[in-house]
Amino acid sequence: MDLAHRKPHPNYLAIWAYLFVLTIVEVAVAFLSHLPRNLLLLALVFLAVWKAALVALYFMHLRFEGNRLRILAAAPLPLAFILVLAVITEFRW
Amino acid sequence: MAHVAVMEPPAAAERGAGVYNEKLGMWIFLGSEVMFFTALIGSYIILRVGAPGPWAPPGVVLNIPVTAFNTFLLICSSVSMVKAFASIVDGDQQKLKFWLLATILCGATFVGIQVYEYAHLIHRGFLPSGIREGSELAELVARGTLPAATAGIYGSTFYTMTGFHGFHVTCGVICMIWVFFKALRGGYSATDYRGVEVIGLYWHFVDLVWIILFTIVYLV
Amino acid sequence: MATTAATFDQVGHASHVDDRSFIRKYIFSTDHKIIGIQFLIMSLLFLALGGALAMMMRWQLGFPGRPLPGGSVLPETMAPGGVLLPEFYNSLVTMHGTFMVFFAIMPLLVGVFGNFLIPLKIGAPDMAFPRLNMASFWVAVSSGIIMLAGFLAEGGHAGAGWTAYAPLSETPEYSGVSLGQQLWCVSLIVLGLSSMLGAVNYIATVINLRAPGMTWFRLPLSIWALFITAILVLLAIPILAGGVIMLLFDQTIGTHFFQPAAGGQVLLWQHLFWFFGHPEVYILILPAMGMVSDIIANGSRKPIFGYHSMVFAIMGIGFLGWIVWGHHMFQSGMNPTLGQTFMISTLLIAVPSAIKTFNWLGTMWRGNLHFHVPMMHSVAFVAMFVIGGLSGVFMATTPVDIYIHDTYFIVAHIHYVLFGGSLFALFGAITYWYPKMFGRMMNPFWGKVHFWLTFVFYNLTFFPMHQLGLHGHMRRLYDPTQYEFLRALQPINRFISISAFLLFASQAIFALNFILSWFRGRKAEANPWRDNTLEWSVPSPPPHGNFAATPTVYRGAYEYSVPGADDDYLPQHRRLPTDPAPAPQPAGH
Repeated sequence: MDLAHRKPHPNYLAIWAYLFVLTIVEVAVAFLSHLPRNLLLLALVFLAVWKAALVALYFMHLRFEGNRLRILAAAPLPLAFILVLAVITEFRW
Repeated sequence: MAHVAVMEPPAAAERGAGVYNEKLGMWIFLGSEVMFFTALIGSYIILRVGAPGPWAPPGVVLNIPVTAFNTFLLICSSVSMVKAFASIVDGDQQKLKFWLLATILCGATFVGIQVYEYAHLIHRGFLPSGIREGSELAELVARGTLPAATAGIYGSTFYTMTGFHGFHVTCGVICMIWVFFKALRGGYSATDYRGVEVIGLYWHFVDLVWIILFTIVYLV
Repeated sequence: MATTAATFDQVGHASHVDDRSFIRKYIFSTDHKIIGIQFLIMSLLFLALGGALAMMMRWQLGFPGRPLPGGSVLPETMAPGGVLLPEFYNSLVTMHGTFMVFFAIMPLLVGVFGNFLIPLKIGAPDMAFPRLNMASFWVAVSSGIIMLAGFLAEGGHAGAGWTAYAPLSETPEYSGVSLGQQLWCVSLIVLGLSSMLGAVNYIATVINLRAPGMTWFRLPLSIWALFITAILVLLAIPILAGGVIMLLFDQTIGTHFFQPAAGGQVLLWQHLFWFFGHPEVYILILPAMGMVSDIIANGSRKPIFGYHSMVFAIMGIGFLGWIVWGHHMFQSGMNPTLGQTFMISTLLIAVPSAIKTFNWLGTMWRGNLHFHVPMMHSVAFVAMFVIGGLSGVFMATTPVDIYIHDTYFIVAHIHYVLFGGSLFALFGAITYWYPKMFGRMMNPFWGKVHFWLTFVFYNLTFFPMHQLGLHGHMRRLYDPTQYEFLRALQPINRFISISAFLLFASQAIFALNFILSWFRGRKAEANPWRDNTLEWSVPSPPPHGNFAATPTVYRGAYEYSVPGADDDYLPQHRRLPTDPAPAPQPAGH
């Protein structure tokens, strides 16, 4: 790997600011909004996944990795969903 | 072997994942960690959905401002970690040491605040087994602000999930101190920054888990 | 910088003077071959112990209430006057399962052959992370010591079965055990760490360290199976660890995960356990299938039939294994709609399993069969696996399962798959790779004697259990004669017990053959079975670092009886004039 050919680093501070803003939005949504319960849940989970995705894509560099590594990283997620969703049907479906 | 080749996938091998062994190994390990936290977080979700009554409303037991600050700290430590990585990729030894030290301090402070949070919660009567008799929180239960039926599993899941997350942060800080001492000796360079990148992946993963935990444990 | 480059460089440089001390070479070795042999010795000892526990159970079942011969050496808390106590019998059932699953079969398949075969068969000098590999073994040893210590615990060892169903396993009021059950939990958490370290190593090694030309579809099936198994271990073990940690917390710090009175869920434990447990079942059979594929192709002197379909069947089993766990819970009060889904997904597994079975038969069909000892065990594996697989279809069908759930039918099923399947494959595999491990051959005559005695007594032991189960004989039962309707079956129980004792005694032949051949066996040449894969291209045993120079691979692993070839096998590394020239090696190699 030649130093001269490296891509410039992504603007990490911008990602940091992004995460910071999202966290504030999240706390605000949780305590200040008057959304119905299910919608609130959806909004909070959406925000959390958004933040997690930012960390994975930029800080963990998945955005810049090859497809093989991305597949490897994503492989356990379906299993996690299968387990939780199947067991939840014990109570609600 | 030329130094440049250290950061490449192993030479003289069939095309593999396209990354060097340590990085590949860390990603595989993180797959295992995903499943471990699935067991803990998944159990929490399942227990909560199947709970025999309403769950404690957010903010009654747990201190949200303190934890929000802790979340902020962990995000800061993630950005300082990635800055450390970017510095050594550019070959800047001084910045590497600075950012690593910043990460260690943020991580250690996070653990410290969590210990304070635990001590405070236990003092108020919130235990892994539920609410302590005669405590401050027991009065809330008596007044009906805090549901009694789910208090037991609330304590169980809260302490198990955040406790294991804190344990992971602690392990990360210890490894990071090791990396920091190696960096002091000039152990990393623009052509070999494996240790920094690998500990960084772990660190960001732990941050990522906290982002999920903060939302589903403290805010929901 | 120079130091890191040097440590990293060890991978890739094979031939250097071996000046390691005895301890570095044999005790705290980072050499994958030594670690494999260490795992072999550890797990064979646990196999013998697990077998001994089973013999005590069989004594109680065949001759209930009579003093166990030699049982007077056991302390009063286990067997006063030699008669087994019911509490001790519970511990025997639990520990037989625990030792066999976690400390014998799993390390034998994954720890021993994963370690020994993966680098040798893919042409790598060692594992990707040799030091982690060493750690994995010693962590497993400490876990075994913790598990053994449970026998000394006050109140006896864990007694809630190897599945440790909550709430039975949760409180001493139910199982009578407190400290033993906690040690059981701690030991499994520690063992999980060991398995996880091993799995990371195997996966990284197979992905990144294959020799040039060793493309994915030239890998021997044993490596494919071990690779998929390692993925299952990696993703399933943490679920068990998480569940066991919660169980341990319930027992020690007063959490309520599995206690319904305080809002917990009993079924949550079963879901977590079997979400791990069903992939675990395939962890315990897939490597056996892979090694049997290698041995059957070798013994038939024919290419494996349907190599690609074999690979996809392994992947299919590996994936389906994640969505069938509920079939262990049909009678648990689980959501019935879920039960139907799990029944269908379970029956689907019969498809890849049948593909594999027919491919083995297709491989042997009109082959030039050589019935050496490993081949005999492998053929027995196929036959026994078919019986075990078919009884599995019975259990997987919800209406039938209502009738035979938790009876000796399931005991027969699991033993047909684990003993008839995995253990026969293991006897074959140990005999097959023994020369590569120790440089000497095991005695083929005693090998055949051991095979026939084991095969006969094994079937006499486990086949009648189907019958017991259909008559309603419950599993984990301390004294069958306490029930009127089971008394008539006591002769069958006694017959099974005597067969089991003879089966256990027959294993002495294997043990003696194993130990004596180590010192006195015939010296093995590099390739005693005339096999194609890379491990047979190096001396027996291979030197530290395995290959003098990184080998280049030109073809798949199963080129037997190629028309026009000089010999009836064509090794993967032999370059024919028609093969393309190897790619130039990078500088420094």
